[in-house]
Amino acid sequence: MNAVIEAEGLTRYYGDLAAVDNVSLSVEAGSLFGLLGPNGSGKTTMIRMLTGQVRPSSGMATVLGVDVVKDPVLARVKVGIIPEQETPPSFLTASEYLDFVARIRKIEGAGEKARWWFEFLDFADKKDVLCKDLSRGTRQKLMFAQAFLHRPVLALIDEPLINFDPVMQKTVKEYLREYVRDGGTIFLSTHILEVAEEICSDVAILHRGQIVHSGPVAEILARKEKLSEFFLNAVGKDTYA
Amino acid sequence: MRWGKIPMPELFVAMFREEWRMHSTVFGSLGFALFPVLVSAITFMGSAMIPYLEAVIPGGTLSLVVHLQFLLLGVMVGGFGLLGQEVMNRRFGQASLLAYSSRSLPISDRRIFATFVAKDTIYYFLLWVLPFIAGVAFGIPLSGLPLSFVGLITVTLTLSFLFGLSLVFLLSMLYAKSPVLLALVLSGVILIAAVIVWLQIAGTVYLFPPYALYRDFSPLVFLYAVLAIALPFSVSISGMTLSFSAKENRYPDRYGEIAGRLAWLPAAPLVAKDILDLWRSGAFVGQVLFSFLFPLAVIWVSLSVLSAVLPDVQILFSFAAVAGVIAATMYTWLTEFDSVGTYTFLPLGTPDLIQSKFTSFSVLQAILVLTMAVTAILSGYAREAFPAVVLAVSVSFYACSVMIYLTGLWPAVMVYNARVLLSSLLMIGPVLLVFIWLSLLDSRFACSAVLLALPAYLLVRASLRRWASWEKVFF
Repeated sequence: MNAVIEAEGLTRYYGDLAAVDNVSLSVEAGSLFGLLGPNGSGKTTMIRMLTGQVRPSSGMATVLGVDVVKDPVLARVKVGIIPEQETPPSFLTASEYLDFVARIRKIEGAGEKARWWFEFLDFADKKDVLCKDLSRGTRQKLMFAQAFLHRPVLALIDEPLINFDPVMQKTVKEYLREYVRDGGTIFLSTHILEVAEEICSDVAILHRGQIVHSGPVAEILARKEKLSEFFLNAVGKDTYA
Repeated sequence: MRWGKIPMPELFVAMFREEWRMHSTVFGSLGFALFPVLVSAITFMGSAMIPYLEAVIPGGTLSLVVHLQFLLLGVMVGGFGLLGQEVMNRRFGQASLLAYSSRSLPISDRRIFATFVAKDTIYYFLLWVLPFIAGVAFGIPLSGLPLSFVGLITVTLTLSFLFGLSLVFLLSMLYAKSPVLLALVLSGVILIAAVIVWLQIAGTVYLFPPYALYRDFSPLVFLYAVLAIALPFSVSISGMTLSFSAKENRYPDRYGEIAGRLAWLPAAPLVAKDILDLWRSGAFVGQVLFSFLFPLAVIWVSLSVLSAVLPDVQILFSFAAVAGVIAATMYTWLTEFDSVGTYTFLPLGTPDLIQSKFTSFSVLQAILVLTMAVTAILSGYAREAFPAVVLAVSVSFYACSVMIYLTGLWPAVMVYNARVLLSSLLMIGPVLLVFIWLSLLDSRFACSAVLLALPAYLLVRASLRRWASWEKVFF
């Protein structure tokens, strides 16, 4: 196995606050890696640093062998990203947006691929609706489709299921499992522990900007412990008191 | 406490604080606080020149020009963000401002919007108008103007600013309702004004009430000026619609076709998106009307009153140079209505975005070319149309490159940094004067402005390096 993501001493300050504090981690190819943590623990900042959207204050990280500080654009060429908050441009239709992404990423046969995604995520009836008029769930489907349109070998996805209904959550979880079975790697950030327990092979728990646990999910479950209990013990129950 | 009545002052204070933080977060409190100080310093120096200017330009003409500039300032401030429902949605939605979040509170939309307008008016009054007047007041020992004059212009310039603000507010509200309604109302107002002037019911000066007050400071004219401002404000606030429709707007796929046609341009996929963005948001027509043609009309009137001291053809070239500067702000149309966050997860860097916005800006310059050519022909100087267009377009590209170099992708916010403002003035002002002077010697010399292409190119190239590692730290 080889690492597709390697971070060493990754730190990011916002003013005096260390949002991510000296984090080192390694994600192996073919894994479905879950970055867990309470709200404000630094998960989104971590994903943003790993995709070159935010520069680390110190430390280094490589993604698919690319130094994300030195060449963030090349890193983003190689991976697929679903951001937590950003939405597609308001005045393109859903279909036009996937065309836009395909042109930026220079994807061959994008039209056919886009049609597949509209059918697979069940929103073909919305393809000519302006993005600003789409519901949150449909926007999330669109963001999901754009991240996987070029079939990257690695996808970094921030809270990917949060706006989906249970049926769509099931579809998407199934897709992620199959994607990993086919050789892809997923780096997923979430605070929905049931999702992590169900689909992740490995997890790291981030708390106040620092990794407090890292390892396979199977190891935790083998101790007859639920991931949610383990998580609460790791971050301190007082966090949720 | 009755919901809907009480929270206005609190909301006003919170919005005011928010606006301050939005600006001061970017360049630090000191950098932003120095902005009005710089405006004062510039006015102070300008007022010291009044005795020399009065020797060349009649006092009445000079005061009309200054009042028109404050009208223009009001128009420019008012034009921002008031161009219809879609733009309001973008302005409020993306920035997550209180004006948006407070809509989840039990306060009426109209009340929130009225507070937002009151906040913007007072905020920009303190940022621009007051420092200007303070500069004139400090300059009294040098200008020799009486103290009472400062009191007079404090009232009349403030009213000029508010008049511009209220006019553009009314026009943009009408435009948001229906462009046909706007055309009808505008035609009606122009017709009534023409009849009043033609039948000599009142002097032309009364068409610009704050200036009428400057000329005839009496309670009756003061009341007239206040009414002329209050009426458009009241109509606008009562007519403003903030109820966002749940309608799904559907469009046939035009993006692929436009991107294909523009394939020869650099960054064609992004330029095609910009074009659809401007067109479908309704911002294009609104911006052309309120941020370009309307200000240019005010500038044309300002320059026309100088016809006593400037030959007509020189007015055309001065207008071309100033139009170039105004056209450079088209770059802000492209950056203001677009969130950088839309691109950060795609394989694009800030230099790619700057390049694409500059290309889109170049496409928009067709509007300037057309406007200048028509102006030259209509003013009877068809032969000078070519050099006037060259001057305007060259200045526009140069001023835009200065803006890109100094502010990157964030011109609308960064301009309120004292350092940025001073640098812009120093980099653009002397260049304008040189080319206006050259065109005064011989209109053909205006074509030499094409030389500005070189510094413009170098500035854009330097900007790509300068902004490559800059990180968006706010909204």
